[in-house]
Amino acid sequence: MSQVADEWGQLMAAAQTGHASAYRRLLDEIRHWLNGFYARRLPPGMVDDAVQDTLIAIHEKRHTYDPERPFRPWLMAVARYKWIDRLRSMSRSRTEELPDEIAIEDHESSVTSSVVLGRLMAELKPAQAEAIRLVKIEGFSVEEASQRTGQSGSLIKVNIHRGLARMASLVQKQTDVE
Amino acid sequence: MSNDALIDRLVDDLRPVPRPRAGRLVAILVVLAAVELAGFLALGTMRPDMSAALERAAFWWKMGGLGILAVFGVAVALNSFDPVMSPRKGLRRWGYVVAAIVLVGAVIDVTGAGLQGLGGRLMWRMGVECLTVMTLLSVPPVIALGLMMRWGAPTDRQASAVAVGVAAAAWGAFIFAFHCPSDDPFYILFWYALGCGVITLLARGVLPLTSRW
Repeated sequence: MSQVADEWGQLMAAAQTGHASAYRRLLDEIRHWLNGFYARRLPPGMVDDAVQDTLIAIHEKRHTYDPERPFRPWLMAVARYKWIDRLRSMSRSRTEELPDEIAIEDHESSVTSSVVLGRLMAELKPAQAEAIRLVKIEGFSVEEASQRTGQSGSLIKVNIHRGLARMASLVQKQTDVE
Repeated sequence: MSNDALIDRLVDDLRPVPRPRAGRLVAILVVLAAVELAGFLALGTMRPDMSAALERAAFWWKMGGLGILAVFGVAVALNSFDPVMSPRKGLRRWGYVVAAIVLVGAVIDVTGAGLQGLGGRLMWRMGVECLTVMTLLSVPPVIALGLMMRWGAPTDRQASAVAVGVAAAAWGAFIFAFHCPSDDPFYILFWYALGCGVITLLARGVLPLTSRW
């Protein structure tokens, strides 16, 4: 990875001077790395959006990369920032208007594939983790989640909000959760 | 949009960008501080008893303490605009420096004026004026650091905003201290802390919104 990252650093340094082919190669390689990064941290339905969001962020903030320093920590910092951002935006989004593509049919395998996400959810109170799993990952409505868990609708929303905020805070405090 | 289409768009949009140079940002801030201080003093605001004040330990404690807090705060804030750096450790250290300065101020206070008449020493009317002017003097550094924050890539925007707030507040207080006729540590600690708190809260409320990326 370090050799690849050094090469990415050189490609980014070239991109900073306007070298388009180096930039295209860099973004193409980073895209695959980001896919793996977010697949371990987000529900599958959100991975593509997170990857695209991060590619745009890398583009807009490429001037903050210092070619004298290693590239990997810079990339990790941007990717982690966008991950936290996505966790926070999940808590802000209205749970009853979630897009259909977030719902996952084979939720069990999808959830277990999001290794880091699962580990983070284990840090939450069981009621919070359950509300997030049902509504944000499996795509149930608040009412359905309420019937399944016995929590009231407003408690489901509160638990989702607090749980996601806690997850974002946990990530913020950790230098890296692999 | 597919990832391929997005990459095409980003590559089409590629333009050369300047490399990050902390020295340039520092130079801009030094010039701003010099211009602000010169402009403030040009209004005839220098305290009339400056020569007498230079002989007081409390005056040097005030100026030295605020200067250190401003420089240290700016360093923490600028560092935090780099996505790899978190300002939280720097802010903790800034807090320790504040504690040390408060401790020295308390020693000077107890050995000097003592603890009598604390309420009267606050001089409310002058204190409110201090608070107002200090806050106004903190606005230029808040704007300058806020623009730099927006240009950078802070990954902990809330903590970066606090770092900007405390840096700008200490900066404004330092410049105001050339005018402030009081060297009473109790007065300084109360009113200056209040002024710093106002600016820090303002920065904490606004800057995370303007620097979102």
